[in-house]
Amino acid sequence: MDQRVPRSRWFTWLDQRLQLEDLLHFLRKKSVPRHRHSVWYYFGGVTLFLFLIQVVTGILLLLYYKGSEDLAFESIRFIMSKVEFGWLIRSIHSWSANLMILAALIHMFSVFFTRAYRFPRELTWLTGMLLFFLALGFGFSGYLLPWNELAFFATKVGTEIIGAVPGIGKPILEFLRGGSNVTGATLSRFFGFHAAVLPGVFTVILVAHLILVQRQGMSEPLGFQLQTENEAKTMPFFPNFLLRDLLLWLIVLNVLAILAVFFPWELGKKADPFASAPAGIQPEWYFLFMFQTLKLLPAKILAIDGEVVGIVAFGLAGILWTLVPFWDRKSSRGEQNRLLSYVGILVLMYIVVFTVLGYLM
Amino acid sequence: MTRITLARIVIAVFTLLLLSVIVNARSMAQQPTDQCLVCHESIGDKPSRLFKHDIHLKKGITCAGCHGGDSSKDDMELAMNAKAGFIGVPRGDRISEVCAHCHADVSTMKSFGSSLRTDEYQLLRGSVHGKYATEGKQRIAQCTTCHGAHGIVSPKDPSSSVYPTRVVAKCASCHSNAAYMQAYNPALPVDQLEKYRTSVHGEKNAHGDAKVAECASCHGSHDIRPAKDAKSSVYSVNIPQTCATCHADAAYMKPYGIPTDQYEKYAKSVHGIALLEKHDTGAPACNSCHGNHGATPPGVQSISKVCGTCHALNAELFASSSHKKVFDERKIPECESCHSNHLVEHATRSLLGVATGATCARCHTPQDNSHGYTVAKEMRSLMDSLSEVDSSAGSVLSQAEQKGMEVSEATFKLRDARQALMESRTVVHSFDFGKFKTVVDKGLSTATASREEGDRAIHEYYVRRIGLGIATLFMTFLAVSLFLVIRRMERKK
Repeated sequence: MDQRVPRSRWFTWLDQRLQLEDLLHFLRKKSVPRHRHSVWYYFGGVTLFLFLIQVVTGILLLLYYKGSEDLAFESIRFIMSKVEFGWLIRSIHSWSANLMILAALIHMFSVFFTRAYRFPRELTWLTGMLLFFLALGFGFSGYLLPWNELAFFATKVGTEIIGAVPGIGKPILEFLRGGSNVTGATLSRFFGFHAAVLPGVFTVILVAHLILVQRQGMSEPLGFQLQTENEAKTMPFFPNFLLRDLLLWLIVLNVLAILAVFFPWELGKKADPFASAPAGIQPEWYFLFMFQTLKLLPAKILAIDGEVVGIVAFGLAGILWTLVPFWDRKSSRGEQNRLLSYVGILVLMYIVVFTVLGYLM
Repeated sequence: MTRITLARIVIAVFTLLLLSVIVNARSMAQQPTDQCLVCHESIGDKPSRLFKHDIHLKKGITCAGCHGGDSSKDDMELAMNAKAGFIGVPRGDRISEVCAHCHADVSTMKSFGSSLRTDEYQLLRGSVHGKYATEGKQRIAQCTTCHGAHGIVSPKDPSSSVYPTRVVAKCASCHSNAAYMQAYNPALPVDQLEKYRTSVHGEKNAHGDAKVAECASCHGSHDIRPAKDAKSSVYSVNIPQTCATCHADAAYMKPYGIPTDQYEKYAKSVHGIALLEKHDTGAPACNSCHGNHGATPPGVQSISKVCGTCHALNAELFASSSHKKVFDERKIPECESCHSNHLVEHATRSLLGVATGATCARCHTPQDNSHGYTVAKEMRSLMDSLSEVDSSAGSVLSQAEQKGMEVSEATFKLRDARQALMESRTVVHSFDFGKFKTVVDKGLSTATASREEGDRAIHEYYVRRIGLGIATLFMTFLAVSLFLVIRRMERKK
C-alpha cells in the first residue's frame, strides 16, 4: 500500500526530477534512539552549524582581509571600524571558532563516554578525530591572521614547541614559518592554510563523516538493544530530530550574537617583530593545558629535555586516544569498560585543571 | 703696695717662662735627632729645605717615616740600609701606598692627634684619577701630585698647594695642558681655568676669597668622578644639590648679599621636577643657564639666548616678533618676564590672556595698549576652545573604547589636535594672531572630527544593542514557535 501523501505541484515537479520522495522516505524511516543520554546527540549538529557559520563569515571576511605583514592588521581594523557590520562578522567568526572547538570537544567526549565509537563506527570516530585535529589547525592558523602582538608571540611560542619534536620538529617548524622566524612569510602561509588548504580537506572529511553517520544511524548506548520494544523509545530523524536540532541552532545563533555585541573580539596592538614579548603570552584556551604542562615540566627528565618528553607524551596520548576503537575490544563486544570511563574522567579533569591553572598562573 | 705687686707678677711670669724653656729643652732632648735631615740640610738640597716646614716633621715623623731606614744613625750605610727598611724614593703607586700606610690607618692617625678622614686613599683609587696612566704602570695621580712631597702643610694653611686660592692652579697644571690631557680625554676642554677666571667665583678667588667655589668645591677632592658618572657631584641630576651646598646656606652666603632660595624655587620648577624627580638628564640644571666653570648670572640681553639653546623655536619666534623691539628698548628681560627664572612653571594656557594670573595683562590693559589686550584675550579664547574640544574628544573616544568600539584610527588622529595645541603654545611667541589662529583652527577641525567619530561609535554601540534586542526577540519568537510545532507534532503521535 502506497503510504505517500498528496504533495503540492512544486514538490511533484521537483520530485519528478530529483526523486525527493525516496529521500524523504529514507529520512522518515531513520530514527534516533531516545534515552537519558540523548542530549549528547545534538552536539555533533551544533559543531556542524558552527562550522557553517565559520564558512559564511570567513567568506565575508575574505572580501576585505589582506594577508600580508603590512596590511593584515590594518585590514582587520578597517573591517571592524569602516565596513558595515564588519565588526559583527569578525566577532561572530572569532566567537564561533571558539564555540566550535568547545562543541567538538563535548561531542568527542560524549562519543567516548557512550562508547559510540565501537564496532561498526570505528571509521566515524577516526574521521571525527581528524576533523577535530583540523579544527585545532584552523584555530592555530587563524589566530595569527590579525597580525597583532598577542597572536604574533603566541604563534612564535607555538611553532617553537612544534620545533622541539625530535627529528621532524625542525623541518616542520621551517615549513610552517616559511623560514626560521615568524615573518610575513608565516602570515601568508597561515592564511593559505586557513582559507584554502584546511577548508578543502575539512569539507571532504566532513562529508565522509556525515555519510558514515547517515549510513550507520545514531549509535545506541550499551544495553539499549536489550530493552523491550516498549522500553526502547525512538524518535523519527525527520522532522522531529531535525526540528530539535534547528531549535538548538537558533539558540546557539542568539548566544553568538549576544557574545559578539557584548564582548566584541578585540584587535589589540599591531605585531612588532622587533619588540620584546609582552608579559602573559598564552595560546588559545584549547592549547592551554598542554602549554601549562610543558611549562611545569622540569628542564630534564632522565637526561632528556623535559619539553621533548612532554611533546612525545602528548603525541603518544593523542595517537592512543584516536585509536581507541581498535584497542577497546571490550566495548565492541558490548561489554561495559569501567576502567576506560575512569581514564576518560581523568583526562577530562586533567584538561580542566591545567587549563584553569594556565589562566591562574 | 702697687710696686710690690707688679714685681711679684714679673717674677712669676719670668719663672713660668724659664720653666717652659726647661721642659721644652728636655722634650727636645728626648726626641731622636733626624740624622737624615741633618746630613741633607748640610748639603743644602731642596727636599730637606722644604721638609723643615712640613707638617709631618712637626708631628715627629722623620724622613724614615716615608723612605724607611734608620734616621737615628749618622752613619749613612746604617741609616740607608735595606735591612733597616730603607726603600729610597718611592715611585709610582708606591708613593700613595706609603702615604696610606698612616693616612688609611685610624689608630695611627689618632696617635698623632689627627682628625683627618682615613678613606682618602680608597676614594682616590675609585676616582677618575685612580685609573691607570697611559703607560699602564701607575695611577694617573698620586697623593703627591696635588699635596706635594716634602713641604706638605695643612690644606687650611694658605701656603698649601690645595688651599682654595691655590688649588685652581694645581688642577690647571694638568687640566690646562692640552698635550697632556689629549692622552686621557681629548674631548675634555682645557680652558676651565680661563673660563673660571671670568666667573664670579674665579674673580673672587683670584682676589683671595677662600670661601667661593673652586675646583674641589664642585668636583670633590679625592673622589673625583667623570661628569657622566651618576655618583659624581657634577652629574647633571646632582648639580643643583652641589650648587645648593653654598647657595642655599643663608649664613654662608650672607657676605655676598644674594638670595639663597634659588634651589628651593628650582626644585619646584618644571625644570627641577623633570631633573630631580623624573631624572630626565635632558632637563637643565644650574650650569645649563649659568655656565659651569664660567658661572655667572645671565644678563638681560642674554636671557633669551640662554633659554633659546633648548627652546630654539620659541626664541626665534620671539626674536622676530613685535615684542622684541619693545623689550630691548625698555630693557625688560625676555623669557623671564613671563616665565620667571628659577621657578619656571609648566607653561599652561593660564599664562596667556588677560585673566588673573595671565602675564599679558601685566602690560596690556583696555586703556593702555588695548590692541594687545584684545589680541591676548582672543588668543586665550581660541586656545581654551582647542583644549576643551581636544579634551572632550579624548573623553568621548575613551568612552567608546571602554565600550569595546574600534576607534583607534580616530584616537590616532586626535594626536594631530594635541600636536596643534602644543604648536600653538610655541607659535604664541610670535604674537602674530593670524599665524596663531591658523594653527589652532587646524587643531580644532581635527579634534572636532575625532570627537564626531567617537560620538558615532557610541551611537553605534547603542544601535548594536537595540539591533541585538530586536534580533533576540525575533529568534526567541522563532524558537518558541518551533518548540510549539515540535510539541504539537509529538502530541499528535
